[in-house]
Amino acid sequence: MRTARSLAAFLLALTALLALAVGLASATHTSGPAAGHPAAQVSDPTAMGAELYAQSCASCHGTDGAGTEYGPSLLGVGAASVDFQLSTGRMPFAGQPASQAKRKPVAFSADQIESLVAHVVSLAGEAPAGPAIPTVTTSDALLARGHEIFAGSCAPCHGATGNGGAVGGGALAPPLDQATTVQTVEAMLVGPGQMPVFALGEEDQNAVATYVDWLQDAPTPGGFSIGGIGPVPEGFVAWVVGMGLLLVVVVLAGRSWQRPDPDPDR
Amino acid sequence: MILRWVDERLGMASWARSGLRKIFPDHWSFLLGEVALFCLVVLVLTGVFLTLFYVPDAALVEYDGPYAPLVGQEVSRAYASVLELSFEVKAGLVMRQVHHWAALVFVAAIVLHVMRVFFTGAFRRPREINWLVGIGLLLLALAMGITGYSLPDDLLSGTGLRVIYSVVIGIPLVGPYLGFLLFGGEFPTETIISRLFVFHIMLLPALLIGGVLVHLAILWRQKHTQFRVPGATERTVVGRPFWPSQVFKSTGLMLLTAAVLALMGGLLQINPVWTYGPFDATTVSAPAQPDWYVGWLDGALRLFPPIEFTLLGITIPSVFIPGVVIPGIAFAIMTLWPFIEPRLAGDREEHHVLDRPYDNALRASVGVAGLLAFVVLTIAGGNDVVALIFNVPVEAMTNILRVAFVAVPIVGFWVTWRICRELQRRTDAPDPRRPVVLRRTASGGFEEGGHER
Amino acid sequence: MSAERLISALLAASMAASLALVGVYVLDLGGAPLEGSLLAVALGGVGAAIVVWAVTLMHAPPEVEERHEMPSPPDARGAAAEALDLEAVTRRRFLVRMLAGAGGLLAAALALPAFSLGPQPGRELFETGWRAGSRVVGGDGEPIRPDDLLEGAVRTVFPEGAVGRPDSPAMLIRLRPSDLHLPEDRQGRAYEGCVAYSKICTHAGCPVGLYRAEDRALICPCHQSTFDVTRGAVPVFGPAARRLPQLGLAIDADGYLVADADFDEPVGPSFWNLTHQGEPE
Repeated sequence: MRTARSLAAFLLALTALLALAVGLASATHTSGPAAGHPAAQVSDPTAMGAELYAQSCASCHGTDGAGTEYGPSLLGVGAASVDFQLSTGRMPFAGQPASQAKRKPVAFSADQIESLVAHVVSLAGEAPAGPAIPTVTTSDALLARGHEIFAGSCAPCHGATGNGGAVGGGALAPPLDQATTVQTVEAMLVGPGQMPVFALGEEDQNAVATYVDWLQDAPTPGGFSIGGIGPVPEGFVAWVVGMGLLLVVVVLAGRSWQRPDPDPDR
Repeated sequence: MILRWVDERLGMASWARSGLRKIFPDHWSFLLGEVALFCLVVLVLTGVFLTLFYVPDAALVEYDGPYAPLVGQEVSRAYASVLELSFEVKAGLVMRQVHHWAALVFVAAIVLHVMRVFFTGAFRRPREINWLVGIGLLLLALAMGITGYSLPDDLLSGTGLRVIYSVVIGIPLVGPYLGFLLFGGEFPTETIISRLFVFHIMLLPALLIGGVLVHLAILWRQKHTQFRVPGATERTVVGRPFWPSQVFKSTGLMLLTAAVLALMGGLLQINPVWTYGPFDATTVSAPAQPDWYVGWLDGALRLFPPIEFTLLGITIPSVFIPGVVIPGIAFAIMTLWPFIEPRLAGDREEHHVLDRPYDNALRASVGVAGLLAFVVLTIAGGNDVVALIFNVPVEAMTNILRVAFVAVPIVGFWVTWRICRELQRRTDAPDPRRPVVLRRTASGGFEEGGHER
Repeated sequence: MSAERLISALLAASMAASLALVGVYVLDLGGAPLEGSLLAVALGGVGAAIVVWAVTLMHAPPEVEERHEMPSPPDARGAAAEALDLEAVTRRRFLVRMLAGAGGLLAAALALPAFSLGPQPGRELFETGWRAGSRVVGGDGEPIRPDDLLEGAVRTVFPEGAVGRPDSPAMLIRLRPSDLHLPEDRQGRAYEGCVAYSKICTHAGCPVGLYRAEDRALICPCHQSTFDVTRGAVPVFGPAARRLPQLGLAIDADGYLVADADFDEPVGPSFWNLTHQGEPE
């Protein structure tokens, strides 16, 4: 009866796994917002901006914003660029020198970011200003247009499901699961790092933001999405899960002959 | 009573009796071929269902189904029918997913089955013909997979078709003509979708199912091979009869295989073509890979250095050697191995008793080297995904794998050779001529009575 | 648990799952996860039950069977050869040769319809939709002025009137003129730092849709061929061995970008007579 018992044990374990899997599959995936630090109360915003800049940015970007050997010039980059880098936590920079800045927990409160943006923009003086912080309104009516633009301009690097991609040269097009609508449009206007500039009209910008926002809660009607990056993980799962389960079944069913039941009439 | 009616017309009682009592040896590794067969059964059953909903038409229509991001977009009728099947047909999505998972597992099972046959020397005389049929079945399975996953006409599979087209037109002298013939013109054509459909549901399945029947018929005629177990010699086979033991076990296995595939088809999303979008020759999404069993070919295209040259005024494109020559050589060696090995090993005898994997060091080493090369190429096919997951620069992955493609099989060959030699030295091969006592049972069969030293 | 109880339990589970499936289907409660899981239990229950039954309740000790000799006995072979009696046919040597000739030519004739499957390539692989004076338009069909593009911007463009034509997409990139170091045979093809290269990879034909702005590199996602945009899209990494063809850019009277001719070499992957550009087909 050993083989019958081991078969039963296997099936029981499989059923338990199944129940767990069905339970997990029906849970919705949500992504949490990036953590922020509580604001320090400062009475004068512009002074706050200058103070914060001196503390956190000047060592790499220069006290006048003209850049040093450690960081590029910020003169004329525009409010959108500064807001993007700060609100995604990319700046202040942490990581290997000359490596790509990555999204991480935001170091400043919303007020502090606003003041820093104002300060950096003011450093540019009379020089032509870069893109301003966009106002973004999403709308269901724009979803299809947003998908169309995304498929043509964004999916090649960020993936069809916005799960990110390796684009060579040590660069990574990051996953878009945490991008806010404003950050999405800011990135397109600014072209941060290796990302090129996509200066679309306002309606198209809103459309792309709508679609990226939709992607973050996109339904997966077929079950677990296994990373959403296509045939590579699917093939891996086919071998490990599919062939793995079948090998267990095959070995259990095949081996069971080795010891025929001594009492077949039980 | 029914049997009497049939027998009066077909007279097959004695054939039935010998068939039902036919002995099949037992080892779990002999069931791998069956698993592949049962995957095929699932593929055919789910495939018929899919065929009744799919429309093989590349003409453009405006999508107006429930998937919001595509509403109002121009997509092909084929793509729209796949979305309709996935979102608007009851049980449509689960059938589609079971079908696709079954295809991936089908080829995996075939690969394991081929490995078992190869490493145990089951292809040796008199089974060379069945090996050839089997390799043919493997190629047909690959072709079925490629034609199948291209039918939805989505951006990912369409990009794969583009690569296939490019490899074809890269063949010297005949390439462009062949490419235009197969596709019906310069890529992309509307007609390729309906042609792939014809291959996928009619021409290739006919060859595949016919080949499977021949494969099984030869196996039936020659009787299955078996490992060296007590009682087994080159002149006998030890096992259990076809009916009821093997039939019950195989039926159970078929249902369990279908169960595993159903579980995967329900819980694991596969090939979500709605996220890739419809095919558009002027755009692409990343990462771009074919299904796993073509990954090795994509990997070969990725790893091969940028070499393009002219020979007597004929340009040899950079895709020709990795896309046609190298796979051609590999498959040629694989196909002809049952004829190569006897010449190298000096053994042209009939064999019904299987080798242990280490009994033939050359075969095992060549097999391991080939397998490792295949694995390296398959990983290379996903080098950008590997780079993404492990946060390694893509260029570094490519260069590492280029070196690995050459170094790993060589090291694997040498290590396998040494291990085989060592294991051969250590184990006492049991003498297959060791006497066994057999007792005749009342029902007419034989059973073992014990061993004599 | 006895074998019988186990088998009954498995079959009962299967029955329950099958009934549940009927309910799910009729009441439209479905969804792939539920349908697939229930189907798996329904199938797996019966499958496991049958296997356990075969293993535990069927008395099946191993049996031995003789293998018959594979080659037929010599007299049987002789009889078969006699029945075949090829000599009766091969005796007529001349007729056999005529038959072989007729058969061969017939096979060739029957193969002819296969050539109806597709047209001759002709000049198609050498031509795209671009002509001298074609306005450069975006995917929306709108023409483009150089200043519409910021530095570091990239757009997929087509010839006016042929938007979406599969052999004609190009990547229009705006660089600083001082960044450009075009090779000799491609001098003068840029306009105010705007360059346009064929989007179809010269390796295996995938659209070269990725652009790294800092590295000024176009990358193809299929096999990671990387092209340096500042030096005439020369391949710098990956398996592509040929530069991306470059469009010569100029502006028309209204200030919109136009191409000054079709690409001067075939776009996309190479083929055997790639360099026979000027020869008639």
